[in-house]
Amino acid sequence: MAWRYILFNKGKTTILIACLMVVMTLPMALHLIVTCSKEQLTSRANETPLVIGSKGSALDVVMNTLYFTRKTPNLTSMGEVFAINQTNLAYAIPIYNRFHAAGYPIIGTSLDYFSFRALKLDEGSQFTFLGECVIGCKVAKSLGLKVGDHLISSPENMFDLSGTYPLRLQIVGILQPAHSPDDQGIFVDVKTSWVIGGLGHGHKDLAKSSDSSVLLSKNENTITANAKLLEYNEITKDNIDSFHFHGDNQDFPLTSIIAVPHDLKSKSILRGRYQESEQSQQAIIPIQVVDELIEAVFSIKSVLDIVLLIVGAAMLLAMTLIMVLSLRMRQREMETIAKLGCKQMKVVEMMTAEIALIIFFSLLLSSGIVLLIYTNQENLIQRLII
Amino acid sequence: MKKTPTAILFALAITPWCWNIPIEAAPVKPAIYSVNYPLAYFAERIGGDSIKVVFPEIEGDPAFWDPDREAVMAFQQADLILLNGANYAKWIHKVSLPYSKLVDTSTAFKNRLLTRNNIPSHQHGPQGDHTHEGIAFTVWIDPQLAILQAEAITKALQGLLPDQKERFGDNFIRLKSELNLLDQELENLFSKNPDLHLIVSHPVYEYLAKRYNLNFKSVMWEPHQPITESQWNDLLPLVENSSTSVMMWEDEPLPESVGRLNEIHMKSITFSPCGNRPKQGDFMEVMHRNLSTLSTLYD
Repeated sequence: MAWRYILFNKGKTTILIACLMVVMTLPMALHLIVTCSKEQLTSRANETPLVIGSKGSALDVVMNTLYFTRKTPNLTSMGEVFAINQTNLAYAIPIYNRFHAAGYPIIGTSLDYFSFRALKLDEGSQFTFLGECVIGCKVAKSLGLKVGDHLISSPENMFDLSGTYPLRLQIVGILQPAHSPDDQGIFVDVKTSWVIGGLGHGHKDLAKSSDSSVLLSKNENTITANAKLLEYNEITKDNIDSFHFHGDNQDFPLTSIIAVPHDLKSKSILRGRYQESEQSQQAIIPIQVVDELIEAVFSIKSVLDIVLLIVGAAMLLAMTLIMVLSLRMRQREMETIAKLGCKQMKVVEMMTAEIALIIFFSLLLSSGIVLLIYTNQENLIQRLII
Repeated sequence: MKKTPTAILFALAITPWCWNIPIEAAPVKPAIYSVNYPLAYFAERIGGDSIKVVFPEIEGDPAFWDPDREAVMAFQQADLILLNGANYAKWIHKVSLPYSKLVDTSTAFKNRLLTRNNIPSHQHGPQGDHTHEGIAFTVWIDPQLAILQAEAITKALQGLLPDQKERFGDNFIRLKSELNLLDQELENLFSKNPDLHLIVSHPVYEYLAKRYNLNFKSVMWEPHQPITESQWNDLLPLVENSSTSVMMWEDEPLPESVGRLNEIHMKSITFSPCGNRPKQGDFMEVMHRNLSTLSTLYD
């Protein structure tokens, strides 16, 4: 009877199920996202002992370094990597996360990054020469890429005509799933990222060029070419020797540096060196920054919890009202049932069954949504929190 | 009866397995890769049998080596990679190596590096066109700079194997005293005739000249190639007003080149920078051979 009633009153039942489902899902989903994001954020931050970056927003530096966010922090330089390595207190891993390809971040780094994050290759090999890249498993899966395929870096600014040329990167390796932002990264040697940034390039040897229309001036010491000189947009075995960098690589930019101290004492000494006021760089302990971020997220959550509590209570009251009004409307129906010989208790049982069915379906839908959130938590957290 | 010794040997061989005696595997020695021979030699002297020094077989000058993928991948697996610095081995700028393993042995004397200008590009051996323009990189032929390079290697090895710190320190002191002795002998020799007019076959002796205040000019001749007319014409203005000119070759020159230089009363001597592994002897032996060749000038 209860089932028949529910099927007959589809509109009313759907509204009740939807309302109850929202009341059940929202607190659970919120709790799940906040808890999972806390775990994800803290585990990666805990694994990263020190991040060195230019003075400015510590949050920008940490988020760019650990979670490959798009916002570029103030830049530091490669000289800082050499300086840290020379201290014998830590080894330094350069990070230059500024460019993108097919919507995924291109991370210029060194081979030390892979051993530091314990990233393993699923197929192929590590990058060996300029112009090669290793991609995360999600990049490979979503773009349908395999070893030997190519990816083209996106220009930094579509409207900057004098900007950098897109570079065609050769995929030489695909990483095993790491269940971290590394799955969505395109990793290149930091020198390749400088080529993408225009600090290094390859072109025909001007001294041997017979095309005089590409030359602006030529004397014993210097040859100046004009914009007609075509730069190579792919680094191959045939043209790699023509690639060169202009300037001292000590001055070349990085978005940050991961410093891995040899022990706790070294970590303290290294941090101390960056705390001097005249330092233009800062040493950040990622977990401290992430804890602050989580604290902010949790304070928002507690406000949201109160709001949800009030909204939930109001919704339950409204639902109770609907049920009571519905019972009044069904007064004649109840009387007919009684006249047909049904006991009063049977009517109560029928009403309870109706409510139980509504709660059951709400719970079923709510569980489905929570399960969906749980399975896609990484993506959701990347989009919502990071 | 003849089978008895074999049976005893077999029994002895399987005893550890029978008694479950743990057999200690030989410890894996750290692999130290080097971009040139002098650094490999210093590492061998300092690290001794505690390390495995790898310097690849390179045909020609290691400064202009063009490694293939397998060679680079081998370098990527190294525990330490010894770099000469001074922009030596330009191939390292085109490959990916782990920065944490790199040891730039000339960092301590960065402000003492010399630059070369207006050097034309040239070709010899299998390595194609190259130029010596830019920072002079043959730093190790100044024994004092070689000591600083060896010191950088010692520190890196001590960091890698802290339990061998003392041993590496002692080995370094021995090497240092040999290099100091070489330095002293070179100084004594060159000071005998400070006005000696040297022509060098290749621009690789800047640090030697700086250390001992040598008066030298450079041409771009190859010891294993005959002298061309254009090269000869380049030489003549350099020796015009000089009575005692000497051509210093980086390797044994062709007899006809020596003969032609003799015609204009120029002596030929060989002073090998020893950038690549010598066919005979080691770095110190080559340096002492250089010393004895030089001493013939002052006899």
